[in-house]
Amino acid sequence: MAKKKDAEKSAQAQETEKVAKEEVNEEEECNFDDPKGFVDKISDEELLGDLLSERPCETDGFDNVIVIDGIPQVGPERFEKLQGVITRMYSKYGTIINVYYPKTENGHTKGYVFIEYSNAQSALEAVTTTDNMRLDKNHTFLVNLFTDFKKYEEIPNDWEPPEPQQYKEQRDLHYYLLEPDAYDQFSVICSGGNPVQIWQNTAPQPTKLEERARWTEMYVQWSPIGTYLATLHFRGIALWGGPAFEQIMKFSHTEVQFIEFSPCENYLVTYSPNADMHNQSRVIMWDIRRGEGMRSFDPEGPAIWPMFRWSKDDKYFAKIGNNMLSIYETPSFGLLGKQSEKVCGIRDFAWSPTDNILAYWVAEDSNIPARVVLMEIPSRTEVRANNLFNVCDCKMHWQKSGDYLCVKVDRYTRCKKEKGENKYIGLYYNFEIFHMREKSIPMDSVEIKEPIHAFAWEPVGSKFAIIHGETSNMNVAFYGLKTGDKPVLLKKFEKRSCNTLFWSPVGQFIVLADLRSNGVLEFIDTADFTVMNTTDHYGVSDVEWDPTGRYVVTAVSLWKFKEDTGYWIWTFQGRILSRNNMPKFCQLLWRPRPPTLLSVEQQKEIKKNLKNYSAQFESKDRMRMTRASKEVVEKRAATMKKFEEFRTSALEKWREQKERRLQMRNNVDTDELDSDLQNVEEEVVEFFIKEETTIIN
Amino acid sequence: MLHGHERAITQICYNREGDLLFSCAKDVSPNVWFSLNGERLGNFAGHNGAVWCLDVNWQTTMFMSGAADNTLKLWDVSNGKEIGNIEVMSSVRTCKFSYSANLAAYSTDTQRKQVCEISIIDVRNGDMFGSEPISRLRVPDSKVTALLWGPLDSTVITGHENGRITQWDMRVCKEINSIDAHTEAINDMQMSKEGYMFVTASKDTTAKLFGTEDLVHLKTYRTERPVNSASISPTQDHVVLGGGQEASVVTTTSTRVGKFDARFYHLVFEEEFGRVKGHFGPINSLAFHPDGKSYASGGEDEILYLNFYLWL
Repeated sequence: MAKKKDAEKSAQAQETEKVAKEEVNEEEECNFDDPKGFVDKISDEELLGDLLSERPCETDGFDNVIVIDGIPQVGPERFEKLQGVITRMYSKYGTIINVYYPKTENGHTKGYVFIEYSNAQSALEAVTTTDNMRLDKNHTFLVNLFTDFKKYEEIPNDWEPPEPQQYKEQRDLHYYLLEPDAYDQFSVICSGGNPVQIWQNTAPQPTKLEERARWTEMYVQWSPIGTYLATLHFRGIALWGGPAFEQIMKFSHTEVQFIEFSPCENYLVTYSPNADMHNQSRVIMWDIRRGEGMRSFDPEGPAIWPMFRWSKDDKYFAKIGNNMLSIYETPSFGLLGKQSEKVCGIRDFAWSPTDNILAYWVAEDSNIPARVVLMEIPSRTEVRANNLFNVCDCKMHWQKSGDYLCVKVDRYTRCKKEKGENKYIGLYYNFEIFHMREKSIPMDSVEIKEPIHAFAWEPVGSKFAIIHGETSNMNVAFYGLKTGDKPVLLKKFEKRSCNTLFWSPVGQFIVLADLRSNGVLEFIDTADFTVMNTTDHYGVSDVEWDPTGRYVVTAVSLWKFKEDTGYWIWTFQGRILSRNNMPKFCQLLWRPRPPTLLSVEQQKEIKKNLKNYSAQFESKDRMRMTRASKEVVEKRAATMKKFEEFRTSALEKWREQKERRLQMRNNVDTDELDSDLQNVEEEVVEFFIKEETTIIN
Repeated sequence: MLHGHERAITQICYNREGDLLFSCAKDVSPNVWFSLNGERLGNFAGHNGAVWCLDVNWQTTMFMSGAADNTLKLWDVSNGKEIGNIEVMSSVRTCKFSYSANLAAYSTDTQRKQVCEISIIDVRNGDMFGSEPISRLRVPDSKVTALLWGPLDSTVITGHENGRITQWDMRVCKEINSIDAHTEAINDMQMSKEGYMFVTASKDTTAKLFGTEDLVHLKTYRTERPVNSASISPTQDHVVLGGGQEASVVTTTSTRVGKFDARFYHLVFEEEFGRVKGHFGPINSLAFHPDGKSYASGGEDEILYLNFYLWL
């Protein structure tokens, strides 16, 4: 004990000594050494983790280096030019510190180059964005990090089987098709996506399935066969699906504006006009299931959307260029046959909805007539071509089942050149109809002298409708087609105030609408041309058939009309089912359905036995209606009861106060109109109402 | 259909028995009509500006009207003579007799440098009418656009330009209760027959039903256009709403878009069950006849309609 005390004492003494010394001489360094036997509990990592992570190591510096292979091999005379191109391309990813071109003895470059950046991030970015980039026809860059070479050299010899991944349950994306009553879904968005609602069109009242605030920042879009719901955001696109609308996939494309699905939902094309500011391409094609970008384009100038048109089976997509038609194939995303089709003066094209045939038309040029060509892909054989004269414009309309193609040709009688622009006089219109299903594709023509406002094919069947005439006197004409016969005028409705045609997706029924003015709606059955109902929805801006052709929605969208926005649901016969006026309503979209799996024979069979089925459905409907009305009655009884409770208690109080009321009104009871009879002076007033003079013989 | 005004009608009301109908408009003289056949009984001449409000006492002896000429006038109904006149600093927006009709309340607009005020006056004799009010209350935050007496003369309920409803104890000039009922100005408030509930009409396109005692919100009636007036049927569970497009944009719209119909709602279920067409401008004021068998509506289109209806 004594010893220890001594030790302490001496330590203290030393301490005081030290302090004294320090005081005397401040310049002398104090002792920071750890006392003997001190164990450092804090590791260096904990203490200086931030500094240690930046500690230099051997491979350092190589992270910043990339190797570009596949650059042109050039002699000394063109070396400077090459250097310029490479430096310009790669300096946008970061500061280049060092560039080295290995050369042969005679000064030729060897076709690869080393570039060192100031940091590893720039190097990584350069690799990810420019790998596999094409410089020109013969040169494609292969870009790698310098450290990658080492990584791939040192592949271990004995192979380790990869860990089996945990089974991730695939969400049932098609659950909505199994709905026993075949109710359809639709999406509703208000004020730019806040909120977005998903509804199911149940009978008698639609039910809300989902509502999310700020689900999208612009608008939503269903995929063509209804599997996904796409939402657009500043950062990119998200796809949602499954019973709970979970996120299935997302694609990052900053400031995306337009999107387009391929018809079989394999690919997604997105367009962002300002993407170059975020080092992205303006147009990107994505594989939906993999979530990867497959190819990107940077078109010049403002884009016409959709930029690409897809063939029906997702195999090909095509783009129109200056005097050429570029057809690409999937999954390689390269040009079909490695080159674009040269077509002088091509103006427009359209794919057949059911076959790999595309139709395009070429404008008239001095003595060469305008041409409409049907081309089969991938063989590029012209299956049919037609020459036309005096053409100022063409519009191509495929019938949805691919049976017919109608080309609306605007023709002129005289043409004047004025200020460098062609001015056409005496316009008239031809409808050239191609019978696709007949041998050698025969053609028919319908001529109309009056201005055309709308044209629409019946989606299934062989009828088409045209709205023509002056604005004050519009006519709606229906034509029918038969094999080997001229188109027959089936019916003409005169003096109608409608400007747009909406065929039911299953044919036969059509809605004529007067969009953006008085909103007159006419529901017509084209089997016998009865007008089932004529009604109106003031200011209607959109008409949407549900995918089964049972319901029609007319909507007034905030995007087009400022007041009374909302959507109304009608039956296909034009009977109103519900009126939903919502402030700031923007858009309603039905969830599409995939095409039916039933063969034509099976469908015919069902139509034949419709009576057997309909009885069953009718009884079901009746039951549902009684149930619904019962619910309504119960609900009303409950609210009435609640209100009655309030009313009786309030009236109770009122009666209690009678004494005071009487005092206030000089003891005159005024509670009821006739409660103060003794005070009433009855006065008989005679009014002269009318005089009738009848002459009696 | 009654033509008697040259400008838009601002308010109408029946007397207690319902044999007379009083109306005022943006022209200077309020009118009184026989409600049975629409014959005009007479008018009250003396104002110099648009008449914004009117009320009649329960005995139908006195009639009161407030106008944009900064006066509140009291008239003898039997001969149409002016018996009282109060000059204030700004337009009189609302006026109401109390249950006993011994007292009356009126409110003035927030105008130029004037702040909205609620005043209570004793109307038992004409002399009192000219002197200082019994009590006066400044309402600086949002002006009063509708006013009601609570039962038994003790409270006053005011509807404000910002959609608020406030209940005041006027004996001590204190706020008792206040709720944010609407998002925009309250255009009209009317009591039910027994006075235990009242209906509000607001520019925010809804009308709402409240309990008088504690301002409890009971029901909401929704439309697409501003509601200018609402009235509760004294005999049925019905509410009638009138309104339409704002007066400033009426000229640019057709009657079909304007929605100038009087709309009937079920008091309890909040569902619309009928509309009455007629006006070609917004309806500014509605009133049920005390017997519940007819109602009157006055609109921006200067026409007063008397509608009789039968319920099955």
